[in-house]
Amino acid sequence: MLLTALMMPAVSCADDSYEREILPLLAKYCVACHSGDEPSAKLDFSIIKTQQDANASFETWRRVVELLKSGEMPPEDEERPSRLDIENIETWYRSRFIENVEARPADFRPRRLSAYEYRNTLRSLFGFDLEVNIIEAEQTIAEKSLVMKLLPLDPPGKSGFRNDTSGNPLTTVIWDQYSYLVDAGLEAFFSPRHQTDLEAYSGPILVSGVSHDQAETLLQSFMTRAYRRQVENSELGRRMIHIKEAGSSEEIVDRLKSELKVVLMSPEFLYRGLLMRGNPGQQSVDQYELAERLSYFIWGDMPDAELMRNASSGNLSKSEIYRSEIVRLLNDPKSRNLAEDFAVQWFSLDEIDHVSDNVPYAVALKSQPLDFVKYLFAADRPLLELIDSDVAYFNTLTSRFYPQDRKQLARYRKPKGIEVEIVPNQQITLQDTSERGGLLTMPGVLAMNKGPVLRGVWMLERLLGEPLPEPPPDVGQIPQNRNGQSLTFRERFELHRSKPACAVCHDKIDPLGFSLERYDKSGAFVTKSGETIDTSGQLPSGEIFTTYQELKEILVTSQRDQIVRNIVQKTLSYALCRKLKYYDRPAVDKIVNELNQRDGTYRDLIRLVAESMPFRETIIKGESE
Amino acid sequence: MNWRISRRTFLRGVGAMLPLPFLNLMEAEGRAANSEKPPVRFMTLFKPNGVHPPSWNINGGTENDFRMSPLMRPFASHKQDLLILDNMGDFGFSSHANSTRRFLSGHHKNTKSASMDQLIADQIGQDTVHRSLELTTEGLFPNQIGCSYISYDTNGDPIPRESDPQLVFDRLFRNPLQHPAKRKEMVSLLDRVGEDAKKLQSKAGVEDRLILDEYLSVVRDAEQRLDNLKSAGTESPELTKFMRPDGLSNLNEQVDAMLDIIALAFWTDSTRCATYMLGNSNSRMIFDFLGIKEQHHYLSHFFRNFSRDNIDALLKISEWHMEKFNYLLTKLKSYKDQNGTLLENSVVLFGSGMGHSDNHTATRIPMILAGQGGGMLKTGRYVRYSQNQQIGKLHLSLLQKFGVEKAAYGENSTALAGLDSSDFEAFQEPSFKSWVKSDGQSITVQGRLRMSDDLDEAKLFFIDVQDQESVRIDVSFGDFHHFNLAYHCGTPITLTGTGQQTDGQYVITKLTELNSLFGKKPGTQNG
Repeated sequence: MLLTALMMPAVSCADDSYEREILPLLAKYCVACHSGDEPSAKLDFSIIKTQQDANASFETWRRVVELLKSGEMPPEDEERPSRLDIENIETWYRSRFIENVEARPADFRPRRLSAYEYRNTLRSLFGFDLEVNIIEAEQTIAEKSLVMKLLPLDPPGKSGFRNDTSGNPLTTVIWDQYSYLVDAGLEAFFSPRHQTDLEAYSGPILVSGVSHDQAETLLQSFMTRAYRRQVENSELGRRMIHIKEAGSSEEIVDRLKSELKVVLMSPEFLYRGLLMRGNPGQQSVDQYELAERLSYFIWGDMPDAELMRNASSGNLSKSEIYRSEIVRLLNDPKSRNLAEDFAVQWFSLDEIDHVSDNVPYAVALKSQPLDFVKYLFAADRPLLELIDSDVAYFNTLTSRFYPQDRKQLARYRKPKGIEVEIVPNQQITLQDTSERGGLLTMPGVLAMNKGPVLRGVWMLERLLGEPLPEPPPDVGQIPQNRNGQSLTFRERFELHRSKPACAVCHDKIDPLGFSLERYDKSGAFVTKSGETIDTSGQLPSGEIFTTYQELKEILVTSQRDQIVRNIVQKTLSYALCRKLKYYDRPAVDKIVNELNQRDGTYRDLIRLVAESMPFRETIIKGESE
Repeated sequence: MNWRISRRTFLRGVGAMLPLPFLNLMEAEGRAANSEKPPVRFMTLFKPNGVHPPSWNINGGTENDFRMSPLMRPFASHKQDLLILDNMGDFGFSSHANSTRRFLSGHHKNTKSASMDQLIADQIGQDTVHRSLELTTEGLFPNQIGCSYISYDTNGDPIPRESDPQLVFDRLFRNPLQHPAKRKEMVSLLDRVGEDAKKLQSKAGVEDRLILDEYLSVVRDAEQRLDNLKSAGTESPELTKFMRPDGLSNLNEQVDAMLDIIALAFWTDSTRCATYMLGNSNSRMIFDFLGIKEQHHYLSHFFRNFSRDNIDALLKISEWHMEKFNYLLTKLKSYKDQNGTLLENSVVLFGSGMGHSDNHTATRIPMILAGQGGGMLKTGRYVRYSQNQQIGKLHLSLLQKFGVEKAAYGENSTALAGLDSSDFEAFQEPSFKSWVKSDGQSITVQGRLRMSDDLDEAKLFFIDVQDQESVRIDVSFGDFHHFNLAYHCGTPITLTGTGQQTDGQYVITKLTELNSLFGKKPGTQNG
C-alpha cells in the first residue's frame, strides 16, 4: 500500500493550487449563477471543491479560459475578473492540464464485451457465425447476425464509442439473451454440420462418439480460448468432475454442453480483464491482458492462437515481437474492424443508412468512406490523406458524382431480371474531379449532414476534435426576407446568430459548414453558372478562404496539428475503451510529436497507440483506497 | 383446462425427441371422450405479388360444380375443405403498399386501428401462452415499407415480424420461463455460475469485486424470477422434446419448417393465431432453388417483361406458393384435434393483395378460406360474387364469426354473405352455345377459352365444347401475342384458324380471327 501511494502522481494528492488560487475567484465571479438546482449552462462550480475534482472535470477549464478571454463570461452586466485574475486562471489551466501533467495509466477496471465484440468472439470460438434464417433480397434490410439481432445495441459510452461499456451494466434481459445465444451456439457446435469446428478442439471424433479424453481436451482448449488465458488445472478439474460421471458418449456430450455453457455464461468470459492478477500500484498489464487489448483494439475480437502463444511465452514484452504482432494483426482481414467499428462510430457513418430508402444506393454511399478508410490502413497512408486524397471509391450507383472520372469505371451490365443490385466499388485515382477526394466531400457524408450548421458541427467535433455545448434552447427560426429585402440564406442566418451567446460557437461552425455550400443535400456538386454561392469564410484563428478547396489547404497546413491531435485522441480513446483523462495528455503529446516528425501514417498511429504507456500499463487499486 | 392436461400426459408418454414430420403419424388423445369444444384457430398465409390471372382464375363453373384452375392443382386434393372466393377486391390500379395494407385491414385508409388478425387474436388468444405469431420470410423493404407488413397493432402501427423458424421454435417450445425442463437447466446453471463467481470474488481486487457484484445481482434476479414462477405453479405441457429444425439453407426449407411449427403451435394450443407472409409484396427475392435467376417482382410484371421464359419462371414461383399452401393444409389435416382434424377447427385465409400482378388491379384477388372453423364455414364451394366485393366485407364477416363485436370494419359496414350456408348474389354470365366446325380448310370454334391445366405446357390453350373433346390451340408465339390469347382466358370467344384433326381432337395451329362473344376489349380485364 505504501508503495502505491508513493507511485501515485503528485498532481492528484499534494497539489492544492485549485483550492488556494482558483476557488476564491470562482466564488466571487461565477458560483452565483453556476450552482444550485438549475445551474447556468448545466455547469455547477459549487461541486468542484478540490484539485482532484477539478482534474476529473478537466475539459471544463479549456472552455472556461476561452470564455473568460473572449469576454463572453461573466455576462456584461455582472462584475468581471481583472486581467490578472484571468491570466492566473489560464496559467493554472495550462500548467495543470497541458504543460506539467504527470503521466499515469488509468485504474484497472474489467469491462463487459460489447455486443459487437461478443459477436466476433463467439464466432472465433465456435468457428462459425450464428445467423438468423431470413431471406435477403437485394433491396431489403435484415439483421443476419443472431447476436446483433438479440442483444440490445450498446449505447456509446463516455468516450463516444460502444466498446466503452462501463456505463452499460449486465441486466436480466441481456442475461436471457446470452443464455439463448449460447444454447443456439452449442446446439450448432455439436451438430454434424459443424463437426470440423468441434474437432478443431477435440481431435477427430469417431463413430463411437466423444470419449472422456476428448471431452477433457476439448474442455481445456475451449476454456483457454474462451477465458483468453491459461486455465488453472484446479479450475479444469472442477469442471471435469461433472463429465467423468457420464457413461455413454451421448451423456458425455450432454454434460460437455452444460459445462461449456457454464464457461460461456461465466464472468471470466463475458468481461475482459477479470482474471488479470497484480499487486496494488502502477505496473505493466500482464501478457494475456496485453494480447487481449491488442486484438480487441485492431480486430474487435479475441486473440488468435499465435497471439496467445506469444502471450504465454512472454514474448510480447520483447518490443520487436510486439511490433511484428501489430503488423500481423493489421495485415489480417479482421482489421476491417478499424473501418467498420472504429471509423463508423468516429464519423457517425451509420447516419448514411438513412439517406436513401433504396438499399443498394444507401449501401453504395456508405461503402465509399468504409472502403476509403480500409485503404488508408491497408496502404499505410499519411494521416491527413483522410481529408486530402486523390483516391476515391465508387461504383455505377455513385459514379454520377464523379462526372469527369466516371469513364475510368469498368463497364457494368445489370443482369437480366434484376431491378437494382448492390455493386462493389472500384478504386479510382481522380484526375479531373477536383471537387472530390477525401472524406469530407464524399456524397454520403455530405448527404447525412444536411445544411451548413450540421456539416460545420460535424467537422468541428469529428475532425478537429472540438466538442460543442448544446445550443441555447430558444434559438427560434431563421427569418424569411421581409418585403423589399433580398438577403441570401447565409446573410439572414448570420444576422440571426449575431448575438454573442450564439456567435461564440457559430464563429467556429459556420465558416466550416458554409464552405461546403456548393454541395447540395444529396451531396451533388452544384455547377450552375451564374449562381453566386458564398463559400468564403474566416476561421477563428484568422485564416481566410473563399472556397472549400482553399479551406482544405488551410486544414492540412495550419490546422494540421489540431487534426492530428484529434486523430490520436480518438484512436487512443477507442483503443483504451474509455474517455481520455487529463493524465493522458502526455501520452497524446508524445504520439502527436512522433507522428508529426515524419508525416506519420495510419499504421504508425496504430503502433504508437499500442505501444503507449496507457495502453500497456495500469494501476491496480489497493484495499484502502 | 382438461384438454391441455390430457394432452400433456400424452406427450410425456412419447418420451424421446420427436422430429416434427413424424408427428404426422401420431394419433393424439383426441379419441378420448371430451365434451369441451376445441378452440378455433385463425391463420393467414400471404402470397406476394398477385397472380397471372389466366392460370389462376377459375373458368366458368358454379358454386358446387367447378373445375380447379391450373394454379390450383397443387392443392386440388383439398377441394372439399376449401371455400374459393371470386370477385374479391374493388379497386383498379393499386400500389403494392396499399394492396398489402388492405389484405388484413380491409381498406388502405384503415391506418389507425388493428388489422383483423389482431382483433381476432384479442378475442381468442388470451388463454394461450403466446397470443399470436407474426411471421415472414424476408427482410424489410424500406423503399415502400408497407410492403413488408400485413399485421398492425391497435394504433395501426406495423408489428415486427419474425422470420427464423429456429427462433420461433425456441420461443414456443424451449423458453425456460414456460417449460419445466428448460427451467431446471437454468436453475442449475445459475447455481453453478453463482458459486463460481463467488469463488472468484474472494480472490478479486476492488474493481473486480464491483463487477462481480453486478454480475451476481443479475444471477440472483434471474433465480428469483424462476422461484416466483415455481410458486405460481404455472402448468404447461412438456414441449421441450420436439426436435428443433436445423440446416435450413433455402426459402423452401425455411417455409416448410415454419409451417410445421405453426401447425405444432396450433396443435399444442401454444397459440391460436398466426399470420405468415411468404414474401414481401414487391419482393425482389430470387428463387434460385427453383433454378430461377430473375427477381420475383420483375417476373410478376409478366406483360411488360414478356417472354416465354419469364412466364414459365413466374408460373414456377406461383406454383411453389400453391405447394406451400398445400403443405400447410396437409399438415393441419394430419393432426387429430379432439374428434376431428386440426384443419376442421381452423380457419386459414390464403391470398394476395392484388389480382393481376402486371397491371396491379385489385379485383379478382386470390382469396381462399380453408378449414371449417369448427362449423363456421361451409367449404367445398366456389363462391363468385355478382359484383366486386370490398375486402373489408370479408374481414367483417370473419370478425363476427369469431365473436368480435364489430358493426363496421375497414371503411365498410356490410358483412360478406355466403361464407356459411347463407345466400349470396352469384355472378351471372349470359348463356352461350359452344360448338366446333370445319370446312376442310379452316376450323372455327366457339366456347370458353382456357389455359392448359398443365403449367409445364402453359403455352397450350383449349376451348371447351359441350359433349365434345376440347379444341386444342397450339400456335406460334407470334399468334399468341398478336391475338392476345391470355387476355381472353376464362371468357367465351369465337376463334377461326387452320390445323388438323388428330384422333378425333381438333388442333388449331394457326389463327386467322378471334372475336369475343360478349365484346370486351383487351386491357379492360385480365390484361
